[in-house]
Amino acid sequence: MQPQAPVFVARGLTKVYGSGDSRVVALKDVDLDIRQGEFIVLLGPSGSGKSTLLNILGGLDAPTSGTARWRDHELTGASDEQLTTYRREHVGFVFQFYNLIPSLTVEENVRLVAQIASNPMTPAEALELVGLSHRAGHFPSQLSGGEQQRVAVARAIVKRPDILLCDEPTGALDVDTGRLVLAAIAKVNAELNTTTAVITHNSAIAGMAHRVLRLSGGRIVKEEPNPRRIRAEDVTW
Amino acid sequence: MVNVLDIKVARDLWSMRLQVLSIALLVAAGVAVFVMSVSNYQALIGAMEAHYRNERFADIFVGMTRAPLSVVDRLREIDGIGIVEPRVAEPVRVIREDTNLPISGRVISLPAAGQPLLNRLHLVQGRWPDPLRPEEVIINAAYAEARAVRSGETIEVVLNGRLQGFRVVGTALSPEFIFATRAAVPLPDDRNFVVVWASEDAMAGAFDMKGAFNDALMTLAPGARPQHVLEEVDRLLAPYGGTGAYGRSDQPSHRFLKDELAEQETLSIVMPSVFFGIAAFLLNVVVGRMVEAQRGQIASLKALGFANRTIALHYFKLVTAIALLGSAIGLVVGRWFAIGVVGSYGAFFRFPSLEAQLEPWLLVAAALVSVGAANLAAASAVYRIAILAPAEAMRPETPPALHTFSWLQTIGSQRIPLQYIIAARTILGRPVRTLLTTVGIALAIPLILFGLYWFDAIDYMIDVSFGRIERGDAFVTFTEPVSADALYELRAIPGVLEAEVQRVVPITLRAGHRAYRTSATGLDSASELKVLRDSALRPIAVPSDGIMLSRTIARQLDLKAGDSVTIEVLEGSRTVREVTVRRISDDILGASVTLQRTALNRLMREGPVANVATFRFDPGQSELLWSRIRSMPKIEGSSVKALWFALFNETIGGMVVIGALVLSGFGMLIAIGVVYNSARIALQERAWELASLRIIGLTRREVSAVIISELVVELIVAIPAGLLIGRYLIELIASARASESFQIPAVIDRSSYAIAALLVIGAAIASFITIRRRIEKLDLVAVLKTRD
Ligand SMILES: Nc1ncnc2c1ncn2[C@@H]1O[C@H](COP(=O)(O)OP(=O)(O)OP(=O)(O)O)[C@@H](O)[C@H]1O
Ligand SMILES: [Mg+2]
Repeated sequence: MQPQAPVFVARGLTKVYGSGDSRVVALKDVDLDIRQGEFIVLLGPSGSGKSTLLNILGGLDAPTSGTARWRDHELTGASDEQLTTYRREHVGFVFQFYNLIPSLTVEENVRLVAQIASNPMTPAEALELVGLSHRAGHFPSQLSGGEQQRVAVARAIVKRPDILLCDEPTGALDVDTGRLVLAAIAKVNAELNTTTAVITHNSAIAGMAHRVLRLSGGRIVKEEPNPRRIRAEDVTW
Repeated sequence: MVNVLDIKVARDLWSMRLQVLSIALLVAAGVAVFVMSVSNYQALIGAMEAHYRNERFADIFVGMTRAPLSVVDRLREIDGIGIVEPRVAEPVRVIREDTNLPISGRVISLPAAGQPLLNRLHLVQGRWPDPLRPEEVIINAAYAEARAVRSGETIEVVLNGRLQGFRVVGTALSPEFIFATRAAVPLPDDRNFVVVWASEDAMAGAFDMKGAFNDALMTLAPGARPQHVLEEVDRLLAPYGGTGAYGRSDQPSHRFLKDELAEQETLSIVMPSVFFGIAAFLLNVVVGRMVEAQRGQIASLKALGFANRTIALHYFKLVTAIALLGSAIGLVVGRWFAIGVVGSYGAFFRFPSLEAQLEPWLLVAAALVSVGAANLAAASAVYRIAILAPAEAMRPETPPALHTFSWLQTIGSQRIPLQYIIAARTILGRPVRTLLTTVGIALAIPLILFGLYWFDAIDYMIDVSFGRIERGDAFVTFTEPVSADALYELRAIPGVLEAEVQRVVPITLRAGHRAYRTSATGLDSASELKVLRDSALRPIAVPSDGIMLSRTIARQLDLKAGDSVTIEVLEGSRTVREVTVRRISDDILGASVTLQRTALNRLMREGPVANVATFRFDPGQSELLWSRIRSMPKIEGSSVKALWFALFNETIGGMVVIGALVLSGFGMLIAIGVVYNSARIALQERAWELASLRIIGLTRREVSAVIISELVVELIVAIPAGLLIGRYLIELIASARASESFQIPAVIDRSSYAIAALLVIGAAIASFITIRRRIEKLDLVAVLKTRD
């Protein structure tokens, strides 16, 4: 795949929590470009600022200083309404804890996003993509963790997002289940050309990326392009 | 070292401070109303008892025509009699320059020594009369205040037909005139009734009572049989024209006071107890949900190996702190209100000292109930969670009934936005919780209604008694029966629009060994200015023969229609007659003995006479009208409805309004507390879910809709239910008191329902706004890190 022009442009991103003695610098002067359709994997020790960076890119958090832009959406200094619109129209999230709505069925959890998106696929299509069509009528509490995470993926992709942001999507899953989830993410990245960023503690997953970013102490300490991508099915850990 | 869980108690209290405060205020409101009302009631009872004790209120009262003082010794010899105080008491009229209204009253003799042995005076102002100056008198403080009479002023009194000036040297309270009134006038009117205490000598001279008396007060010796004593006194005084001895229960002021206290009991004991009970229940609901919302934390503590007991203790500390905080606020506020409210009673209940009491047991009881209710709720919530395996408890609660409700999905829900489906499933999937919250909100409504009801009840009673029953604008009473000419004379006075007369006679009814002292009213059959009415306000016709009794009297004498009863007339000829009870009436107000005036005249063996007139008049002509009336012969006193209204507003009105305002104010506070907490806890329990919705791109409005639509549904059910419960409780409380001679009708105006509903809706809207604000501030990133 031929990398395109950068869609994400971040410059001098800094995030500071607290002040005085309890001051924590979560991100330090981070510059980052991400191109359309790129599959990025973020690695780094706990507390290195991965989630902070991803949350800023996803419009869930604001940096203390620096700028971040996605296409023509200025993410720094945007109002809550603007960020909501940005998330609603462009971003799909997958988190470690699934974040499904317990009182909605699988299909409804997916439709919840479809109902507010401008050009969604049908919930059935999204569930087909993650291989869960047969569980559409069940409630989250009736599914295993991996199944719930695939519902989360289906929910993230049903709107055909431009960006897919995943924070430890396999953190709570075993290898086989994790592969299914990763496969779904990779499929969306490939088929819909969705810009994808995945945080993981599992460096094996890095093999799937176009590019691997290593964070440490709030900085990107290493950037490695990955010319030999492997398929999700071949990831082992 | 401080226990870490104790640190958690402090942190939780702080982080939930608004919620803690609203629960504490709920407790405070319940405690305050309870403490205030009960201590006020105790203050009244205490003040009455102290007044009766200090001023030595007599046990037995008797009037007669004239008896020599030697009879006093014979009275003392009666077995069971303690102290005997002979005196002279006579009706008087008072003339004032500044009013044409006839003012009536009583003049009572004071012994040369000053204080009598019984029914002593509590001097409010001024001094005792100088024994060497017979022109010096003391008057009752109520009249002195109402008419602004000061010491040193002269009071013009018509004594036995002769005008005589007395000098007022002091004002006093007396236990026998806490409510000063005279027969035939339905309500005390301080402006037009005066009690004058004059020296024995002055009285003896004016009424030809040297060496004699016509009124006696007595106490019962310990162990005396009252009934026996009354009979002996009557036997002894019969030759002297004794009008029948009677005890405190038939003493007019005491009887009126008892009725008022019975009404106060409803306002001060029954209603606040129900109020407090509901508040305790609501505390239970709110605390239970608050603890349940910490399900994940409880499960984690359990998983870490904390014993159920330790966890429960942790929550006991939390809720006890809240309940104690609330109780403390409630006690302080309740005490503060008690002092203020009891002050407003002073205008109505004329006691020498009326101070809010605060019994320690009251405080302990109130605090115990609040702490108990809170801990019970915490215990059951912890228990419900603790019986689950920690692993299960750590998972978010999935409503068990949820699967059954997937039909919601099939019924066209493709068009219903999913946030409403979430709300609907939450409501239906947790029926017990929904029910409790709904009941909680519903029960807040009666608390508001309780206060509003008093306004309605008072309005209704005024409308009924003065718009429907006593329809005249004024009464006049005559010193002795007058012929029908008086009526024509009255009608002829310019400005009198309509006039009627009544014959009112003091009587004792006897049935077997039971007796009831009251007065019989003879009404003309076409009477329009006085119309007896039943509880549906239908006019009650006076039977053409025999007498009609109110049910309350009939019950006390154990009489039914068709029975015969003995009437002893307590004036003039002292006739004793057997009459038939023709009808038992369900009078809406008061207790009455009514018959046709002609029948009463026949019974009295007198011509067609009357001694009370009631009339409607043109207020524009009142000056001239009253001066004409005052100059009519044999006029005794008067009572004007408009003046009475003014007095009512100052006294009962003010008293009830303050009490009712306080009650509905606290009711409102509780309503707000319940609604806010329901919303707040719903939000807390669902913060994670709501944040997830926000992350996937739902707007604040869409996310708020989930919680708010849940609450709206609960409100839609709760408000009508609460109004019904309120109505039912008020009916229950009102009917519980129906056996008293004073009935408070269970009338609730539509506007009260509307106000109660609107206040709860207002509380809901305020809660919605805070919820919206909280949803706006929802920390999306923080929520992502935890699963709780
Ligand atoms: N609300 C907060 N207040 C203070 N410090 C915070 C807050 N949130 C994050 N931090 C700090 O910011 C730093 C970066 O946090 P971040 O969550 O981005 O790390 P991470 O790389 O995602 O770690 P992990 O792999 O453990 O998820 C950490 O040191 C963390 O302690
Ligand atoms: Mg992280």
